[in-house]
Amino acid sequence: MELICKIAGRNLWRHRGHSLVIGAILFLGSLFMTVGNGVVSGMDRGLQRTIVRSFTGDIVLLSDKHESDNVFMEMMGRAVEPIEDYAAVRAVLEKDSALSDFLPIGKNMAMILNDEDGPSAFVYLLGVDFGRYRKMFPGNMEILEGRFPVEGQTGMLLPLWARKEIRDQTNVWFVPAGAPMGLGLDTSHMDADARKHRADMRVKNGMVMMGFNEANTATDIRLNVDGVFRYNALNTIFGHFALTDIESYRKCLGYFLASEKNQGKVSGADSALLSMEDGNLDAMFGTDSLVVTDKPAAGLSGPPVRKSPPREAVSPRPQNPPAGASVKPAAMDLDQGAYNLVLLLLKNGVNSDAALAELNARLKQAHASVRAVPWKKALGVVGSMATIIKGALFVFVSLLFVVAVIVIVNTLTMAALERTPELGMMRAIGARKGFIGGMFLAETAMLSALFGGLGIVAGILGVGVLSLLKLTSENDMLQLFFGGDTFHPLLTAGDIVLAGLQLAFVTVAAVTYPLLLARKVGPLDAIGKE
Amino acid sequence: MNIIEIRGLTKDYPLGKTIVHALRGIDLSIAKGDLVSVMGPSGSGKTTLLNVIGCIDLATAGSVKIGDRELTALDDKQVTDLRLHRLGFIFQTFNLIPVLTSTENVEFPLLLQKRLDRKEIRRRAEKLLDDVGLSEYRRNRPSELSGGQRQRVAIARALVTHPDIVLADEPTANLDSATGASILEIMKEMNAREQTTFLFSTHDKNVLKYARTVVNIKDGLIDGN
Repeated sequence: MELICKIAGRNLWRHRGHSLVIGAILFLGSLFMTVGNGVVSGMDRGLQRTIVRSFTGDIVLLSDKHESDNVFMEMMGRAVEPIEDYAAVRAVLEKDSALSDFLPIGKNMAMILNDEDGPSAFVYLLGVDFGRYRKMFPGNMEILEGRFPVEGQTGMLLPLWARKEIRDQTNVWFVPAGAPMGLGLDTSHMDADARKHRADMRVKNGMVMMGFNEANTATDIRLNVDGVFRYNALNTIFGHFALTDIESYRKCLGYFLASEKNQGKVSGADSALLSMEDGNLDAMFGTDSLVVTDKPAAGLSGPPVRKSPPREAVSPRPQNPPAGASVKPAAMDLDQGAYNLVLLLLKNGVNSDAALAELNARLKQAHASVRAVPWKKALGVVGSMATIIKGALFVFVSLLFVVAVIVIVNTLTMAALERTPELGMMRAIGARKGFIGGMFLAETAMLSALFGGLGIVAGILGVGVLSLLKLTSENDMLQLFFGGDTFHPLLTAGDIVLAGLQLAFVTVAAVTYPLLLARKVGPLDAIGKE
Repeated sequence: MNIIEIRGLTKDYPLGKTIVHALRGIDLSIAKGDLVSVMGPSGSGKTTLLNVIGCIDLATAGSVKIGDRELTALDDKQVTDLRLHRLGFIFQTFNLIPVLTSTENVEFPLLLQKRLDRKEIRRRAEKLLDDVGLSEYRRNRPSELSGGQRQRVAIARALVTHPDIVLADEPTANLDSATGASILEIMKEMNAREQTTFLFSTHDKNVLKYARTVVNIKDGLIDGN
C-alpha cells in the first residue's frame, strides 16, 4: 500500500495538468453537492416551520367520505365532508403519544355576498377556536390592522391577500370593526390599484357570507372583521384562507352548533327542517326554499352531524356591533359541534411515516370514519411543489454527478492510455493486475480526498455565507424554494456525511472504467511486437 | 542441467486477414548459468522468442519449460508470479518507472515480492547500484540519467531478485558502442558472479564476443547451434 501510494502521489504531481482538471471538477462537484444538500435541508426545515408549524400540522385527519386527500388546495372543488364522529377521533388522538398537539377545524368555501347586486367574491374559511389556534400555531401571522379576535366570541380575521382579491372582484374594501372608514382610512397596506381607485371603493367592516357545504347549500351569516393579517410566509398561497370562530363557521355551513348541542337544541335551520312536514320536503328544492324566512318547517330528520338546510337568514348584526358578542358560554364544549378536519402536530423526532401508519391503524381499530394523510397530500399541488422543487434540486445534483463522472472518466481513460508502456512494464516485472488497479484507485482517491474535501469545506462556508445574507422574497414559488420568506440553507452533520458519500460514489463511478482498462494492460503492450 | 527447454514452439500473429508465422517450430535447450546471445536480423523472431520465454507472450503451439514448469499451463496470476520471482527483464527502451528514483526502481520487484524487510531491500538495491557503478545516482530519477545509466539501473533491477534467468531484448540497441560494451561487460560479470542465466537478443555481430552460446535465428527457425 505504501508503494502504491508513493507511486500514485508522484504520478499525480507528474501529471499535474490532468490532476488539476479532475481536481477542479471534483472541487466544483463537491461544492455544489454540499450547497445543494444545504438548500434541500434548509428548505425541509423551512417548510416544516412555514407550513407544518404554521398551517397544516404534520398530519391531517379528514372524513373517509371525502374522496381526495387534497383538502386545502382543491380550487373550486368539492366541499370538504364533515367528520361525523369527532368524539371517537378525539379519544384516539388523546391517547397518541406521538402527538404534541392537535386542532380540529372547519374548512370550506364561502361566498361573500355583494349587497349592491355586483359580483360576489369567494374566500376559504377556516373555522377555529381562536385560543387553540394561537396555541397550535404561535407566531404564524402578523396582525396588520385591528386585533386578534377575543376567544369565545364571534370574529373573523381577513388575510391581506383575500382582502385584495375581494376588492378586485367586488370593489369593497374591508377594514376591521372600529377602524376609520372615511377620512383616516388606513391605506398603508393598500395595493397600488386599490389606492388608485380609492375614491370609487366602498369601505365596510362586516360582510355577509354564504357557506358552501358538500350539498352546496348553506346559511347566510354576517360577520364583522376583527383584524387584517398576513401569514408570515407563503402569504399569497395561504392568504386565501380567512379565519372565523368555529361556531360562526358552523352556522355559515349549516352544521350543528356546539352551543345548541350543549343546550340540547338544534340550530335554527335544523329546527326549521325538523319541524317541516313530509309534504313540504319537495319545497326544499323548489324556488320557495330560496326564500329567506324565519318560519320553521316540520317533519324532517337528517344525519346526526351534517345538515344541508335551505338558505336561512341569520339576523344580521348591526353594521358595527359591540365587540365581544359571545356565542360560546363559558363552559361550552366546542367539540360537540361539527368539524371538517383535524390538524395534528407530531412531537420532535417522531418519524412521521411511522406515526401516520400507526395512527391510521388505531383509527381503524376505533371504527372512526376518518383517515390520516400527510400534510403534503392535504396541501395538494403546494405540497407537490415542495417535492418537485426538492426533486429538481436532486436532478440538478445528479446531473452534476453525471457530468463530473463523464469528464473524470475521459481524463482518467486518457491517462491510462498514455501510461500504457509504464503500466505494461510494471506488469512485465511482476506487478499483478490488482497492483495496477490499486494504483489508479489510489490516484483518484487522493484527488477526491484533497479537492473533493476542499469542495465540501468551501460548500460548508458557502452555505454559512448564504445563510448570513438572509435573502428574502415575496414570491411564493421562491418562498417554497426557500422554505419560507427568508433563504436559510442549513447543513447538518448528516448532510456533510451525505456529501462525502456522494463524493465517494462519484469517485468509484469515475474510476471504474479507467481502472478496468488499466488492469487489461499487459506486458506486451509495453514492449510491443517485433 | 537445462533451465530452459523448448520443443516445437510456434507463434503466429494475425495481421489483418493473413497470419504471420513469427516462430515456426523451435527446439532449444539452454543450460543454467549460460550466457546466450540470440542473433538474427530484424523480423527474424528473436524478440518473439524472448517474449515467449519471458511469459510476456503466449505460444501458439509447442512446449516451453522454465525449470520444471510448463509455461503453457499457467494462468495469468501464476505467470505474473513466475516473472516476479524467477525472471528478470532488461528492455530495449530502458523501461523504468519515471516517478521513482534509481534506488526505488531497483527496489520495486523486491517490494512486490514482500519477502524481505525494508532495510534489507534498501541494502540490496544500493549494493546492486554500486555494482553497476551508479552509487552517485541513487536519488536521481530516470529523466535525470543518461541512456547508459538507465540501462544499468534496469540491469540492477533485473538482478535484484536473484532470478534464474535474465532476458534482455537488444539491451544495447539505443546506446553508443562504448556504453553498449560497458553494459555487456556488466552482464558478463554478473553472469560469472551470480551464475544467473542471461539470454539477450541482438543483431550486432560485435557483441558476439560476450556470449558463451550463440543462437542464430532466421525466419522463425533456428539456424544451426
